[in-house]
Amino acid sequence: MMSLQTLADRVDTAAHTANAIAQLTDEVPGLTVEDAYAIQALSMKRRYARGEARIGVKMGLTSRAKMIQVGVDEVIWGRLTDGMRLEEGATLSRANYVHPRAEPEIAFLLKAPLAGEVTAAEAMAAVEAIAPAIEIIDSRYQDFKFTLPDVVADNSSSSGFILGTWFAPDTPIDNLGILLEADGRAVQVGSTAAILGHPVRSLVAAARMVARAGEALKPGDIILAGGATAAHPLSVGMHMRAVFQNLGSVGITVTE
Amino acid sequence: MTTLKDSIAQAADLLWAASQSGTPCDPVRTLLADGDLDAAYAVQEINTKRSLDAGRRLVGRKIGLTSKAVQAQLGVGQPDYGMLFADMAVAEGEDIALSAVLQPKVEAEIAFILGDDLDDEHLTPADVMNAIDYAVAAIEVVGSRVAKWDIRILDTIADNASSGLYVLGSEPRTLGEFDPRLCGMVMEKKGEPVSVGAGAACLGNPLTAALWLAKTMVRVGRPLRAGDTILSGALGPMAPAAPGDVFEARINGLGSVRASFGRE
Repeated sequence: MMSLQTLADRVDTAAHTANAIAQLTDEVPGLTVEDAYAIQALSMKRRYARGEARIGVKMGLTSRAKMIQVGVDEVIWGRLTDGMRLEEGATLSRANYVHPRAEPEIAFLLKAPLAGEVTAAEAMAAVEAIAPAIEIIDSRYQDFKFTLPDVVADNSSSSGFILGTWFAPDTPIDNLGILLEADGRAVQVGSTAAILGHPVRSLVAAARMVARAGEALKPGDIILAGGATAAHPLSVGMHMRAVFQNLGSVGITVTE
Repeated sequence: MTTLKDSIAQAADLLWAASQSGTPCDPVRTLLADGDLDAAYAVQEINTKRSLDAGRRLVGRKIGLTSKAVQAQLGVGQPDYGMLFADMAVAEGEDIALSAVLQPKVEAEIAFILGDDLDDEHLTPADVMNAIDYAVAAIEVVGSRVAKWDIRILDTIADNASSGLYVLGSEPRTLGEFDPRLCGMVMEKKGEPVSVGAGAACLGNPLTAALWLAKTMVRVGRPLRAGDTILSGALGPMAPAAPGDVFEARINGLGSVRASFGRE
């Protein structure tokens, strides 16, 4: 079997150069989810070697609909780096991505470490603030098609994120209405309740899954809780904005 | 030769018989000309008159086809409406007999209760907001008298907009007390979200749907009256209902409402 390092090099190069690749499982049908997390970790080491720093994690497949679609019963996660952070109200260069899509999310900022099995109350006690967010997901696989091990190896499609204003951690976030607007027109409508029924469940899962990989969520880390609606493709010239009940909005404009 | 009037009467008879017998009928669109919405509403009106003659009390309207996705699916660019009668209102906590609705599905909606008549020929958004006494969360149990929900636009209009029953929540709010456009909605069954959405899923704003209804009702001569209930349209996808199911819908700022189905 091809070495995990070779596969890690391949997904990292695809992300770094914004070129689509074939699914890893086409060539390595027996690739396991465990292998895939190892590939993700190795690929992220290449990013760190280029000067990027890990500043948090993102959760994926957090809606029941997506889990059924991919045929799994657990969420997935990926790593966020400072290089993925985009400025709110600024621009995103389309050329840096293969086929980027936007998803509205809730972001948590931690003030205390979280690792392993924690309760929702313990998780919330570690939260410094919450914010509305847009995550830019960009599968490096051709046609955005992948199996579970493929997407995990590809850092769970994570490629960028934009944060809005921070709010106090006791702000209710269990059922906030969300509109994802492209050029001012709603293209997705949903609620934060789509995130595992309550976004805090995603934070609990993050603590558990990150610990399983031998890492911990640290003070200052940002956790993106997962998409609250289906993702919408980004095209050049588009202004993409997510409007949240009670939390304001977050937006970005796509340039070439 | 069969005239349009005969075809309309025949469609109305088929749907009426299905509702009375509990056995769904074939689609009625084949009896009408493609795209003839007026004829479909004429079918609905025949059965509305039958209901009123039978002593049913008209207590409001429902608005259907308010989501862009559903409009696209049925190839239409506008919502539709159906009549609400007093016997369609189920009290919260009361078991819903499965036999009461053919092929039931549930949708979470905002219900507006009017405090004034809306009978002016030239209604504005402000008129509608002024006329709304309060809003409550609602679950609409939709049903279809057409077998296997094999409906197109003409079938659902003729079939009273696939109406069934409805349950209203009990936490009335005035318009200033919640955000009809951005309110989040989640409907759960056994702790799992089965439908998620927000106010804007209904024509961009449920008040837009209410204005469309009010104007349309004036035009067709059945204006909305003080006390009427408006089921303004689904805030998320519909979910199928099975024996014993209990659904709870929460609309942020508007409280919650439950619909429970009997086991047989």
